[in-house]
Amino acid sequence: MLRSKNTLALVAAGALTVSLAACGGQSGDSSGNGSGSGGGGEGEPWILGTTESVTSIDPAGSYDFGSWNLQYNIFEQLVTIPAGETEPVGSLAESCEYDDPQTITCTLVEGKKFTNGNEITSSDVLFSFQRNIEIADPNGSSVLLGQLSNGDEKNPTLADGAIETPDDTTVVFNLNSPDTTFLRLLSTATTSIVDEETFPADKLLADDQVVGSGPYQLEQYKAGEQATLTANPDYDGPNKPSSPQIFVQYLSEPSALKTAVESGQVDIAWRTLSPTDITDLEQGGKVDVLRGEGSEFRYWVWQLGTEVGKNKAIRQAAAQLIDRETIAQDAYDGTVTPSYSIVPPGFEGQKDSFKERYGEPSVEKAKQILEDAGVQTPVDLTLGYTPTRYGPNAVDEATELKAQLDESGLFNVTTQDAEWEEYQTAYKENAYDLFILGWYPDILDADNYLTPFLREGGFYANNYNSPKVNKLLDSELAETDTAAREKTLGEIQDIVAEDVPIIPSWNGENIAVASKQMEGVEETLDPTYIFRFWMITKQG
Amino acid sequence: MSSGSGSLTRYILQRLLLIIPMIWVLLTLVFLLLRVAPGDPVTAAVGDKLSPEAIDARRAALGLDRPLIVQYLDYLGSVARFDFGTTLSDNRPVLAVIRDNGGATLSLTVGAFLIALLVGIPLGLLAGRKRDSAADVGIRLFGIFTYAAPVFWTGLLVILIAAPLGWPTFEIASPITKFEVQPVTHILLLDAIIAGNWDATIDVLKHHLLPCLTLGLLLAGVIIRLVRVNVLQALKGDYVEAARARGIPEKYVVRRHAFRNALVPVVTVVGLQVALTLSGAVLTESTFSWPGLGLELIDYITARDYAAVQGIVTFFAVVVVVVSLAVDVINAIVDPRVRY
Repeated sequence: MLRSKNTLALVAAGALTVSLAACGGQSGDSSGNGSGSGGGGEGEPWILGTTESVTSIDPAGSYDFGSWNLQYNIFEQLVTIPAGETEPVGSLAESCEYDDPQTITCTLVEGKKFTNGNEITSSDVLFSFQRNIEIADPNGSSVLLGQLSNGDEKNPTLADGAIETPDDTTVVFNLNSPDTTFLRLLSTATTSIVDEETFPADKLLADDQVVGSGPYQLEQYKAGEQATLTANPDYDGPNKPSSPQIFVQYLSEPSALKTAVESGQVDIAWRTLSPTDITDLEQGGKVDVLRGEGSEFRYWVWQLGTEVGKNKAIRQAAAQLIDRETIAQDAYDGTVTPSYSIVPPGFEGQKDSFKERYGEPSVEKAKQILEDAGVQTPVDLTLGYTPTRYGPNAVDEATELKAQLDESGLFNVTTQDAEWEEYQTAYKENAYDLFILGWYPDILDADNYLTPFLREGGFYANNYNSPKVNKLLDSELAETDTAAREKTLGEIQDIVAEDVPIIPSWNGENIAVASKQMEGVEETLDPTYIFRFWMITKQG
Repeated sequence: MSSGSGSLTRYILQRLLLIIPMIWVLLTLVFLLLRVAPGDPVTAAVGDKLSPEAIDARRAALGLDRPLIVQYLDYLGSVARFDFGTTLSDNRPVLAVIRDNGGATLSLTVGAFLIALLVGIPLGLLAGRKRDSAADVGIRLFGIFTYAAPVFWTGLLVILIAAPLGWPTFEIASPITKFEVQPVTHILLLDAIIAGNWDATIDVLKHHLLPCLTLGLLLAGVIIRLVRVNVLQALKGDYVEAARARGIPEKYVVRRHAFRNALVPVVTVVGLQVALTLSGAVLTESTFSWPGLGLELIDYITARDYAAVQGIVTFFAVVVVVVSLAVDVINAIVDPRVRY
């Protein structure tokens, strides 16, 4: 027994010794200044912290920020949108031009190679699009390639003749219908070009085996934990990597991300910190809070399937009352911008139709609208929101909107919240008269805020269906003349302000928090939400 | 073979056989609860991006439109073949998730147990020996506090204190360590030691301290109270009185007689704390972004990833059942009355 007691004492002493050694020993370099194996770039390695998760690094298997951002840095697309700009320029393709609104011809840059040495040809382009459509992964974004598919949702294939490859460097896209936004789609991660000799045609490739041709290559990947990227030594495109090695750390909670960047455990925190955390970090002054233009859109949807929602005068009266400035300040600490159109500022054809139609918030005007329509007040209205999808600030926003509507004396609002999964069923089943949703664009085009929302009730199934709007949508998609298209886009926004199937609330900024050693972060913060690793350096 | 050892074998066999219906009930419950909960993997991921028709097509592609009984039988058949399938939300083999992330949970729970024992036993002994003294009251309050405080609250408090001191507050190691140490056992600490990389070993240990401390304090609260009560009872025992009567000094009476006997039930109860430890580990991992199975479980529940949740919960259940079985068997060996 004495021996066993001594053993216990030795184990305890050993454990304490190891703990003490840990306290006094040299730490592993949490700043990332360790031995990298980068193949290019001259700056220091750096660490990005994010709460975004990665579904798949294979471009055919994802439709989320976390995955797409790795893909933008590992793969190349035919065209790319440079930081701060809105028009696509050549990347893997020297040029991509519309022959007509239904046909695009791309000419590839000669001599481009994947990191495994295989040459990139038009056959790889055809393969990349075809496998994406045919795999139709449930987590993927093949739905965006509808212009090239046979339209069969159960057995999707590439439509006959949709992509032609007359020679190794020429690719011709023949779209199902005229679509002047398709060129922008060619800049998105879902159209990343993959090696037909490496990627399977009928299933996804394991994340740690992906091969691309972008400025960085994936050196190591631990799902849900960390991605390590090193500069692609053979990359000869326009996006030269600035740092030899980059670590992406995936954190579970915004609070952990805040602590990590504040204490220097990560160099940059990007997506997603709460407005309160951002304000706190900004006031603390230890790190830089960097803001760029964003394209996030938050809006209230009217369910036209309810008695209240189908009354246009009620919808207009609420649009007349909403005070977006107060919502932005009180619910979001001023970290968002009030939105007066279904299309965010900066997009071709955007106009503040709601501001033009309703002006400043006014109880008198709202009252008049309801009186003219013979609506008895106060109107009982059910307001739905979901904090599980949009965070605690969505609660503040719903509370503020309720207060504004109630205080007018014209509405009697009941708020109802639900967990995200339940919420989706509830709003489609007319549980709410008015409910909140959010949107990030797939492509930087005004149409990406119009067609998905307005055609045949939109993806949220709110029962709004305007033949006139549908016709105008077809028209703007087929229009090649910029001025004419802008006019049509403006007309659609005016109709939305008049019919009010939704009420725009606010537009979000693209915000990152970085240590003071970081350079180039602010330049990549634009509405594309592409976090361009190649632009960012860390000064020693 | 003696009749005694025969009854022990029978006892162990009975307990082993009971595992099968226990696991089956659990699998069924998890399967049903996940289906009863609103939503599915498709709506969780892209519900605010796709039309109802596109969502239906994706649900069909995952086989979620099949009758529930067909899905259930299919699932049971797969489990019977030890095929836990592939996660629906990120396309990983479920067994690979358990392998890759189980090591982090194991090292967290072992570290927490060590801290719990190092903190709980001496404090429990001291409290028992100094009954109703200021030290006893303080220790009892400490024990109640650490047990009652939510583990995520303790974790956040620890982070608030440690972060300004430059101590790592999340993850199992720095990026460089994770990059350099190649997985062999999938337990990073062991892998760093096997690689002979001492900087990495120390780095991993530093990252372990806060999460292990947080979870360990939760367990320490249980141990403190348990040790104290048992020491108090032991000190009232006849054999202790007899020892004192023989003139043995008090410190030897406590150490050699009271303490030793007080620890016997503690070992049993500590073994049964595995379930508490695992539930605490889930919250601890979430607080510290610790890349273990608990964190994965939370993420997969949010993503309504049926395959992943079923696989991880089944694994947790098997661990709890096996440890409980081991404790029962040890008890049966030590105390034959248990077998009857």
